[in-house]
Amino acid sequence: MLNNGGRRSARVGAMWGHVRDAVRRQWPLLLCILILILVFSAAAPDTFPTLLNVQAISFQIPEVGLLSLGVMLTMVAAGIDLSVVAMADLSGLAAAQFLHAFGFTAGGPDSFEMTAVAVIIALAVGTACGTLNGLLIARVGVTPILATLATASVFSGAALVWTGGYSVVSLPGSLRALGSPIALGVPVPIIVFAVAVVGVAVLLNSTTLGFQIGLVGANSAASRFAGIRLTRVLVATYATSGLLAGLAGVMIIARSGSATPDYGQSYVLLAIVIVVLGGVDLAGGYGSVAGVTLATICLAVVQEGFITLHLSQFLYQVAQGLILAGVVGVRLIPSRDLRHRLHRAVAVTRLAAGEVEPADRDAPVPKSEPRRPGA
Amino acid sequence: MKATQPYSRRVVSRLLTIGQSNEFVLVLVIVVLCLLVGLAERNFWNLGTAFDIARNSLETVVFALAFLVVLLVGGIDVSFDAIGIFSGYTAAWIAVSGYYDSDIILAFVLAGLIGLGLGAVNAVIVDRLRLPVLIATLATRSVFVGVLLTYIGAFWYNFLPGQLGDFHYWQVIRVPVGRGSTSLHPLVIPVLVLAVVLWLVLSRTMFGRGLYAVGGDAEAARRAGFPVRRLVFMALCLAGLLAGLGGMVHVSLGGNADPYELVGSELTPIAAVVLGGASIFGGKGTVLGTVLGAVLISLINYSMVSLGVPAAWTQVIVGLFILIAIASQLMRGRRRARSLLAIPSGA
Repeated sequence: MLNNGGRRSARVGAMWGHVRDAVRRQWPLLLCILILILVFSAAAPDTFPTLLNVQAISFQIPEVGLLSLGVMLTMVAAGIDLSVVAMADLSGLAAAQFLHAFGFTAGGPDSFEMTAVAVIIALAVGTACGTLNGLLIARVGVTPILATLATASVFSGAALVWTGGYSVVSLPGSLRALGSPIALGVPVPIIVFAVAVVGVAVLLNSTTLGFQIGLVGANSAASRFAGIRLTRVLVATYATSGLLAGLAGVMIIARSGSATPDYGQSYVLLAIVIVVLGGVDLAGGYGSVAGVTLATICLAVVQEGFITLHLSQFLYQVAQGLILAGVVGVRLIPSRDLRHRLHRAVAVTRLAAGEVEPADRDAPVPKSEPRRPGA
Repeated sequence: MKATQPYSRRVVSRLLTIGQSNEFVLVLVIVVLCLLVGLAERNFWNLGTAFDIARNSLETVVFALAFLVVLLVGGIDVSFDAIGIFSGYTAAWIAVSGYYDSDIILAFVLAGLIGLGLGAVNAVIVDRLRLPVLIATLATRSVFVGVLLTYIGAFWYNFLPGQLGDFHYWQVIRVPVGRGSTSLHPLVIPVLVLAVVLWLVLSRTMFGRGLYAVGGDAEAARRAGFPVRRLVFMALCLAGLLAGLGGMVHVSLGGNADPYELVGSELTPIAAVVLGGASIFGGKGTVLGTVLGAVLISLINYSMVSLGVPAAWTQVIVGLFILIAIASQLMRGRRRARSLLAIPSGA
């Protein structure tokens, strides 16, 4: 392959490298999903491994997946975005209010163009909210967690004020079509999500901005000295998170056919759980689109499995917590440490079996760095 | 150099310090807000309002203190609301099942102990698995809520037996206001005592100073001889205890036990702590500031209602208040930095 000598093969090689890297880093999640699918299929062979169930799972993934991608980007930039759900609600509401203002309802007139404009409005509102976050963080210098905590309150409050707390119901069919399956039974939301995943992956791994986001997150002082314009990168990061939230808002109103000002508040913590499960570096600098996608799928599989087995949805919450602690716990063991333990176990076994002399033991292990307590 | 300063100058500098403190600014904001609302709404200025605001802020105060204790060591604990409803609901459930005669003090002790146990679970996970507090508590909060709803109950107890049921009617002071009368709830006193005790513990004991030290710089604290891991462990246990008590405050003041409540409302206590001037990175924050922050939020909620503003606006206003509070902290920080530069070196 290499002796083809073309640029194309180099690019293919780089892509292959990405995939291999993703598999190497994401093996706990892949293993987790595989085991879960096997366990659920064994427990409910007639109901779990069915096309219908796959479809049900793929309906659950996009909304929270889009929100998680946004949170992931901000966490790569060593920040966090707690306002994703509020931005999604506000954007969805803006689109719904726009359609209603021109008289487009479920039973009434319908126009593809107006729906397209409504979607663009939602995306614009999301991006504007995200830009505001970015400016607060980069220009004013407010800590990301506090800035987005406050703006989350402002955005979802604004959405509540806008409708007085009521939902905007009966949205036109052309919008609802975005939340339904198309030919071959593939739901539209999953296609949108797939496009977003590829987009964010390209942004993060193959563009200058993505590289800069990683640098800023890894070491903001160093990146400033390297000539990166911090403000611009941070604003772009949070604006992208807002754009993804706006897209999630469209998906939510398309699926449910109504816009609720305070929908899905519990998604904020769920999105963080997913990003952490996906192996983001909590100190910033590294995040994985593949990890976030796999983590979203993993949790969706668990939820669907619990539904199929008629297990309590509350028990699903327990499982969610255990998976988070388990996967992060496995990840936190440094791979060198893991390998060393393996070596030592082998050595001890051989020692016990009398294969080697006691003097032939491993060199003393260098102590791992002290870990900071707290977040 | 300090000893040579004249007394008057020391008083002035002390006053300036108070004037720059976050607590003073908070008191100022509360007073101004009260004046403004009082101008618009004649009936605002009476003891009944103060009693209502005090009562409404109790729950936020206790939860905010739980959050504060962990925040001081630099951890973000998002499980306090889950621990709260777990403890409060379970204590009420044990009473409903008839295992004790719904004595209110016993209920609080029980809830506190359950909270302590759950806090210890957090502490063990953070200590053994070496997970960051935010991640560990994200995991445990869903486990706690799930266990509560699956194994203990998902039933809403509308009526609680004995003292638990009528505790929310109790009153300690009764004052005539207009044609009717108003009363202060007795729970205000133990919560005040709790705050004072916590303030003493944080500011006067080695344990409390250790929490600040760990949050300021864990490595420096370790080299200074503080048992960092044990302090983090104890902070998480203490936060669990406080969260358990907060859950019982919620249940007993409401007079009913709903397992679906509380979870998802964790942002209010966090907002109170932030308004109170605590640093989100740890090592900075006071009990007084936190209590004032909770009172301010309660005041905003109350005045929104009495001014007839739709409840939806409250969220916007609380959010804006947080932003203003942080921005003003940042500006004060900058001014201080500038004035530090203005002092000639070697003076």
